[in-house]
Amino acid sequence: MSVPTLTFVIVGQEDHPIYEVDLTGPKEQQTQYLHQFVLHSSLDAVDEQMWTSKEPHLKVVDRFNGLQVTAFVTAGNTRFLLLHDGRSDDAIRAFFTEVYDLYLRVMLNPFHTPTTRITSREFDRKVKLLAKRLIG
Amino acid sequence: MQKPLAPSPAPGTGPTPAKKPTRRCAEVCLELLCVECVRLFHDKQSGPAAAAALEAIGYRVGQQLVERYTRDKPLLGDTLEIIKFVCKDFWQALFKKQVDNLKTNHRGVYVLQDNGFRWLQRLAGPPPPGAGAGADPGREEAARQLALRYLHLPCGLVRGALGHLGVACTVEADPKQLPSCTFTVRIT
Repeated sequence: MSVPTLTFVIVGQEDHPIYEVDLTGPKEQQTQYLHQFVLHSSLDAVDEQMWTSKEPHLKVVDRFNGLQVTAFVTAGNTRFLLLHDGRSDDAIRAFFTEVYDLYLRVMLNPFHTPTTRITSREFDRKVKLLAKRLIG
Repeated sequence: MQKPLAPSPAPGTGPTPAKKPTRRCAEVCLELLCVECVRLFHDKQSGPAAAAALEAIGYRVGQQLVERYTRDKPLLGDTLEIIKFVCKDFWQALFKKQVDNLKTNHRGVYVLQDNGFRWLQRLAGPPPPGAGAGADPGREEAARQLALRYLHLPCGLVRGALGHLGVACTVEADPKQLPSCTFTVRIT
């Protein structure tokens, strides 16, 4: 596909999405649904890799039609998933590390329940800024 | 605990590229806060309700702390590894020492023993023997009961930490001999 693809999802402990953002700007409905579907179906693949590896950074876990899903798993079983079309692994690692830092700050907020969606606009803004800076 | 406010788990581990010095808080503030917390809840509610409230607070804080302390560590595999993590890294960060003894019956019960539990250090123990043999067991029992109040919060911390890492359990504390204390974790 010539259209650049970059969708980021944070999945919580109960396997529900806590945060979703489309990092390349607005898209039409069909592709949005497709991206969501691919990301959620890749959760099984993430689980498989989680059981065998000790590294929080998992490399590409799933592929679909030229799109790839890279994952990062935290100790509390929260998964960060990135749907992309073949970006550099190092850039994605750096992105995940920075987002993990932001995510920790949100989690440390006593007014935020760990199982609800992250609705902070600051978080949203910073994630988009990071994506633009690190992944392009 | 003198924890820096920036989210890095080990304070003072080598030169960090910090732009400003990390802010720290005196440990006595935490001790006073815990003591006051216990007093407040026991004044407002009685008995089990106060204990449940303190445990709930501990649970939430335990979840957040463990999220923070597992930051740069490799993923933990099975239950035993998770318990060992709590005994070593988590205890070290919170109470500045590791758990002294860990026992298990391999059927889901783990006993963590800490000889010298930091948060009980300031609690006055029973007077030394020779001050009246008959009064001793009574005073020891009273001291135990008092210590139990202050242990609801740490129990909640451990339960929250384990719960967030995927181990659902119940935690009971037993202050046998102040200041040493055992925590019994039963996996549900």
